[in-house]
Amino acid sequence: MIRLDRVSKTYTRAGGGEPVRALSEISADIADGAFVTIVGPSGCGKSTLLYIVGGFVPASGGAVLVEGKPIAGPGPDRGPVFQEFALFPWKTVRQNIRFGLAEQNVPRAEADRRVDELLDLVHLRQYAALYPKELSGGMKQRVAIARTLAYRPRTLLMDEPFGALDAHTRAKLQDELLQIWERERKTVLFITHGVDEAVYLSDRILVMSAAPGAIKADIAVDLPRPRRREELLRHPRYQELVIEIGRMMDTTA
Amino acid sequence: MILRALRSCYSVLLLLAAWELFARSGMVPRTLLPPVSLVLQRTAIALATDTFVADLATTLFRLLAGLALAVGLGIALGVISAQTRAGRAIFEPLVRVLGPLPKIALFPVLLLTLGFDNTPRIVLVLIDAIFPVMLAAHYAARAVDEKLIWSARAAGTSPTGCVLRVILPAAMPQILTGIRVAAVIACVVVFLSEMVQPGDGLGDQMIRAARAFRSVDMFVPIVVISGLGFILDTLLALVRRRALGWAG
Ligand SMILES: Nc1ncnc2c1ncn2[C@@H]1O[C@H](COP(=O)(O)OP(=O)(O)OP(=O)(O)O)[C@@H](O)[C@H]1O
Ligand SMILES: [Mg+2]
Repeated sequence: MIRLDRVSKTYTRAGGGEPVRALSEISADIADGAFVTIVGPSGCGKSTLLYIVGGFVPASGGAVLVEGKPIAGPGPDRGPVFQEFALFPWKTVRQNIRFGLAEQNVPRAEADRRVDELLDLVHLRQYAALYPKELSGGMKQRVAIARTLAYRPRTLLMDEPFGALDAHTRAKLQDELLQIWERERKTVLFITHGVDEAVYLSDRILVMSAAPGAIKADIAVDLPRPRRREELLRHPRYQELVIEIGRMMDTTA
Repeated sequence: MILRALRSCYSVLLLLAAWELFARSGMVPRTLLPPVSLVLQRTAIALATDTFVADLATTLFRLLAGLALAVGLGIALGVISAQTRAGRAIFEPLVRVLGPLPKIALFPVLLLTLGFDNTPRIVLVLIDAIFPVMLAAHYAARAVDEKLIWSARAAGTSPTGCVLRVILPAAMPQILTGIRVAAVIACVVVFLSEMVQPGDGLGDQMIRAARAFRSVDMFVPIVVISGLGFILDTLLALVRRRALGWAG
């Protein structure tokens, strides 16, 4: 379990300007295997919160506890996927996916097997030898996801991973992500601007209020799984949730 | 193949043609600017002469040794100084003060402290050529997307591992551009060092020819050093195409 215990963040500016209060006392428990999504207006501190959980940015107050222990920096138990993909441009698709395995000294044959498996999982086998600049946005994000899955993090931290993609590609990747999640049951902390995306994917949605960010609502998504897009779109509860959360977002902005 | 090589440097051929025409036009005395055809002829002869080739080898050794040191030290200092706030605070003002300093002015001191043969010249090349490499490495290392570093840290890479396996490769395209500038500077500086304090090398050949008013011979080392620079840069461009194709 991941526990956020009164996490707050104030950015001090290098130039000496006014410090920016980004988060104020965020507390939440994220259960193992849960798909939890954070929505909220732009600038409310969603990315900041995710970076703190990842251990990339230090909190100004409070603590993040993984299995009861405060985190000390980044670790392979929490794998990030960023909106900007952040692939290593000098590595091919295969080498990118392999990165974490090489860093953790996984034996060569085993690493090769794992990379092949992941290439199949994200449907990129015939693109394995290409460089990131030769890929489309959707393909890049698939590589980024596979690169993170490679070292088997228990938790995925996804910051608007599909935000830069067109609607069709986004829907496809949402479905692939759900399939992966249903099979591997990782904990997912997911950030999005899309209310429909949040409802479609999540068990639970945290709605944040505008800066300094705080959790304004904690909504359980009581929709059946496995989810099928067409069925869900017609589901009255789905529509209710989308409208309800959409309204909350309007009033927080 | 040869045709393609010729086409790719036709501007150089144009320059040589202009030199030839200008020198033959009678607007300047032949003794000051001999036609390039004569110079190239003499260059071919020189390249078959043991003493000239020995001087060429001397210069090439100093050039490459100084450049190699500048590249190695420049990358190390530039990247390492970019890693900490203290390093950045020390690096920037120091480079601003030392960068514009004419290093050749230190050459007499180098000669007196390091002797009169290779060492002071190699050091002079080093302290001149290190700046473009160091600057490129420093600023490129600072500009590396933090999310690349985070992605690596999350995958279990240590901070040192990040410097070696993320920051360094990410900064390589800019560093290579810095190295190409450094190579040009190295050619100029090694030649200058041999002109200022002759003894051997291409610069020495040139000074001795100039003092004896052998104007064709005077241009031979000039053509040769610029040829060396051309070859060096072509090799670096090849490295870029081969190893840094990903950068486009
Ligand atoms: N490195 C930083 N230095 C100073 N202020 C920052 C920094 N990063 C973020 N902020 C500020 O913190 C606040 C929250 O930013 P954050 O990126 O977390 O918001 P967000 O909810 O992810 O927004 P969006 O939905 O647009 O991605 C903003 O006011 C932003 O200006
Ligand atoms: Mg954000």
